[in-house]
Amino acid sequence: MAVLSEVKKDYGKVRNFVNGEWVDSATKSWLDVKNPATTETIAKVPLSTKEEMTKAIEAAQEAWWAWRETPPVSRARVMFNLKAIMEREFENIARIISQEQGKTIDDARGETRRCIENVEVASGITTLQMGYNLEDGAAANIDEEVIISPLGVFGAVCPFNFPGMVPFWFWPYAVATGNTFILKPSEQVPLTSQYVFKLIEEAGFPPGVINLVNGREDAVNAMFDHKDLKGISFVGSTPVAKWIYKRGGETGKRVQAQGGAKNSLVVMPDAKLDNTVNNTLSSFYGCAGQRCLAGSNLVGVGDIADPLIRKFVEASKRIKVGYGLDESSNMGPVISEAAKKKVLGYIDQGVKDGAKLLLDGRNIKVPGYEKGYFIGTTVFDDVTPDMKIAKEEIFGPVVSFLRMKSLDDAIEFIHKCPFGNAASIYTQNGRWARDFRYKVQCGNIGVNIGIVAAMAYFPFAGYKDSFFGTLHGQGKDAVSFYTDRKVVITRWF
Amino acid sequence: MEYEFPECNSFGTVIRFGLELERAATNIYDELSRDSKLVAGADTFRALSVVHKKRGDLLEYTRREKLNEMILEPIQDLDAKKYIIDTKAPKGVDIKAAARYAAGVEERSSMFYADSAKIAKNLLSEGARILERMAKENLANKAKLEAL
Repeated sequence: MAVLSEVKKDYGKVRNFVNGEWVDSATKSWLDVKNPATTETIAKVPLSTKEEMTKAIEAAQEAWWAWRETPPVSRARVMFNLKAIMEREFENIARIISQEQGKTIDDARGETRRCIENVEVASGITTLQMGYNLEDGAAANIDEEVIISPLGVFGAVCPFNFPGMVPFWFWPYAVATGNTFILKPSEQVPLTSQYVFKLIEEAGFPPGVINLVNGREDAVNAMFDHKDLKGISFVGSTPVAKWIYKRGGETGKRVQAQGGAKNSLVVMPDAKLDNTVNNTLSSFYGCAGQRCLAGSNLVGVGDIADPLIRKFVEASKRIKVGYGLDESSNMGPVISEAAKKKVLGYIDQGVKDGAKLLLDGRNIKVPGYEKGYFIGTTVFDDVTPDMKIAKEEIFGPVVSFLRMKSLDDAIEFIHKCPFGNAASIYTQNGRWARDFRYKVQCGNIGVNIGIVAAMAYFPFAGYKDSFFGTLHGQGKDAVSFYTDRKVVITRWF
Repeated sequence: MEYEFPECNSFGTVIRFGLELERAATNIYDELSRDSKLVAGADTFRALSVVHKKRGDLLEYTRREKLNEMILEPIQDLDAKKYIIDTKAPKGVDIKAAARYAAGVEERSSMFYADSAKIAKNLLSEGARILERMAKENLANKAKLEAL
């Protein structure tokens, strides 16, 4: 199968989009953006300065009042324009995601659809942002109402694993509710946002309403240090999420910070084996295991353990690893050399700790892409709960298989984990499924589903060290995060 | 015209295979409809060309709308080689031979969609319904061709 064509081979210098203008960063610090399958440099991204971020926030603040006064129905119309433009550009967006991030083109198409879904949901802002009132609510002849109001300028700091979707968990809701916005994409994958912002520009948002600033720590610190920035949305690792949350507290910003994960998929003795194995494969290996919803621990309960691991390993061997733009690839590379090194380190650690390596993806060679950051499917058996590979986030295509005697043991194991992003159960027993759903302290629960990816109209949840804050991205939670409730009590003499 | 029929190891590659089938069928019927020896079947061939173009659009729509990260499960039991069609429309043959050839294309395509629908049922019921319908439509097309 031929590889699909790339939108561009070389995207040149990545630019910022501030106050409706494309501007070159004045920074002296630039990073190479690499295609993780070929390791070729496909662009250069600026690490924008604190001053550049400050300018963007000032432009957003300047634009805010006029945008806030734009009726919600008019704001929604611009979102509708964007939706139509994104449908037109669907395939290009997906191919850029695949090219810069490494995920398979089907995965990237799924991600593109998720971007558009968030625009669609935000387009319904006229009803989502509606307040409520009660006649004589305060006393006779005194009415009381709640108005849902925007707050000003918000920003987001986004990760490398979903260059398209994660920014769309946030900015459509912020902007549709009447705020203005600064997006800082991951410096490892800035090209999708670069492309999407051209579409945003075409859609007709007024200058300053939505801005793009590329960069790293300096840009993020400038966000926290600016008095006009009201809040920050973040997705990334737990240590950084904690830091973001703390900085937000110190500087009086609203924060929603999504951290890491260590998700367990629990297979009960009555699970439908073939369906279960097939479904878990996409959880463990989709996006090369670099999803915060990816399965990491496979837990076989009771008698199913042996047949499960046998089938799982056989199926894992058939996962075709290759360039994401080759439509026949089931799994692409990890994002970078550093990421590969880290994942390989965990595999070495697993071996050292005494786990049995049933499938070793360390030395995989992908013909035509020998330099790429590929890791083959890797499966450990005889993993115990105290091993590092059972406890820590690996963020790669590595599966730790654990055997448990009962559902209670599995739940106890899940609860010992500091993360609480997602967990799934595979069973035909409604009682077990109900117990799992009820007891497990994770934000996203799957019943015979390995990737518990909330649709745009539901929040992307998370507990414990997987989320810091109260309101999540997407849907009504996002609307609440970017607005406040203003109570008005009225009496006419 | 070059076609690339991929191995079918995911729902996405099943759709890609189907897209190639539909592109090939569209071109085959276009060619047949232009053949001066096949005037008796020209209207049918033209109509079938349009049908297959629309089916390609439907598959494209399905890929864009129905594939998301929840249903990226690998497919491991569909032998794509069995369904590859002969994409070279015969030249200089009579209407019966041309219709027989085209009916063969429809039959093989129908097999592909019917078998894919069975596999897709567990992954994506909406997708499976579309594939089932396409398989039936292929057989209806075959019947039309056999009447020529």
